[in-house]
Amino acid sequence: MTIRSFDLLQPRSLQEAVELLQKYGDESRPIAGGTTLVILMKQRALHYKYLVDLQSIPGLSQIAHESDGVLIGALVTHRMVETSPLIRQAFPALAEAFSHIGNVRVRQTASVGGNLAHADYRLDPPPALLVLNAELNIFGPEGSRVIPLQNFFQGMYETALTPGEILVGVKVPFTPADSRAVYLRYSALSANDWPCLGVAGFLSKADGRCKDLRIALGGMAATPVSVDGLEFANDQPLDQPVIDKILELVERQIAPFSDLRGSEWYKRRMAQLFVKKAIERLNGEAA
Amino acid sequence: MKREIVLRVNGREETLQIDDADTLLEVLRDGLKLWSVRESCGVGACGTCTVLMDGNPVSSCFLLAARAAGREITTLEGLGDGNELHPIQEAFVAERALQCAYCTPGFVLSVKALLDENPNPSDDETREYLSGNLCRCAGYADILRAVRSAQRRRRTPAKT
Repeated sequence: MTIRSFDLLQPRSLQEAVELLQKYGDESRPIAGGTTLVILMKQRALHYKYLVDLQSIPGLSQIAHESDGVLIGALVTHRMVETSPLIRQAFPALAEAFSHIGNVRVRQTASVGGNLAHADYRLDPPPALLVLNAELNIFGPEGSRVIPLQNFFQGMYETALTPGEILVGVKVPFTPADSRAVYLRYSALSANDWPCLGVAGFLSKADGRCKDLRIALGGMAATPVSVDGLEFANDQPLDQPVIDKILELVERQIAPFSDLRGSEWYKRRMAQLFVKKAIERLNGEAA
Repeated sequence: MKREIVLRVNGREETLQIDDADTLLEVLRDGLKLWSVRESCGVGACGTCTVLMDGNPVSSCFLLAARAAGREITTLEGLGDGNELHPIQEAFVAERALQCAYCTPGFVLSVKALLDENPNPSDDETREYLSGNLCRCAGYADILRAVRSAQRRRRTPAKT
């Protein structure tokens, strides 16, 4: 099927891109990697008269080492994150999360910013970025602002971006040396499919006790879920009673729905299993 | 919107009149008659439309041609010289790694990208890299053998 005709506008600066988005409003959409957007336009599920090409704006496809973390430009491809020596060294769980998306061609094309702004509930990067306390750099009609990723996902395919705003980068702060993060994905269909669920965990320990524990899940509700209330585990060893309580918090905070990747019952069971696995991996290996 | 783009396809500079809504696949097939580039699933999952863009595999079925302007595109037609097959093609023939051959151009190009990046992949690395290329005749075991054979052929320095 061919795509209905549209105009591809190629601004040279963020300012110009924002002006185009404001001028054409709902008839326009920014295009980043253009994976999902082009496919949905091909299937005629979506149509925009104007696509504002973010690839024509210089400076959005770099992975930059900053003093307090790594800044990943919105146009950086999944494949660049997956293969970046800096990311693999500083955030192996993040490289892992990006390395299983679709297939190598999709990862070659799809961008970090496009993935987040699409806000599909079952994508791999959001849980991994959530436990790493990532922040988003946004540019819009009012200038620049920074928000925690935590506040970005508002509903299924809905984000905190307001009309005219563009996601320009993701900042991942460096983690303490005594910490570890993991990402586990479970695919109920083929390996290239969206995950049935993804679980990310982060743990920093002191003297064998938990100092900071974070868990996030993808595919388990309309938005990625960051598990609340884990502070109770601080200063405690991650033993069975503590793990049971964590699993109870997870069970209460997820709201999976049945689809072809599993029934609600099945997904709840898988969430328990994979969160347990993630904690075991964090607990066994963290310094 | 209509526009003119310049693509370098299989080593030749091509000036093309395209529409912004054209995919790279449409331009390569309809404009340049490169029939090895095939559409099957249409959503980047099957690999029959694989081409190399600046050496990296991409799905031409969902890539906007306008955004490929100025890039270097390689299709299967760009591998052999018309008389001699590329070593990867020879390996596919020798190992009979094709049956209906609809998927073959995509596989051969993906294998080229894999071996350019990693000349000695393990079988698991090969399986992972090629997991996005589907063969419905299910010739995967033969294809894996062809990749091993292509690795060996590439190690002999006669040609690249």
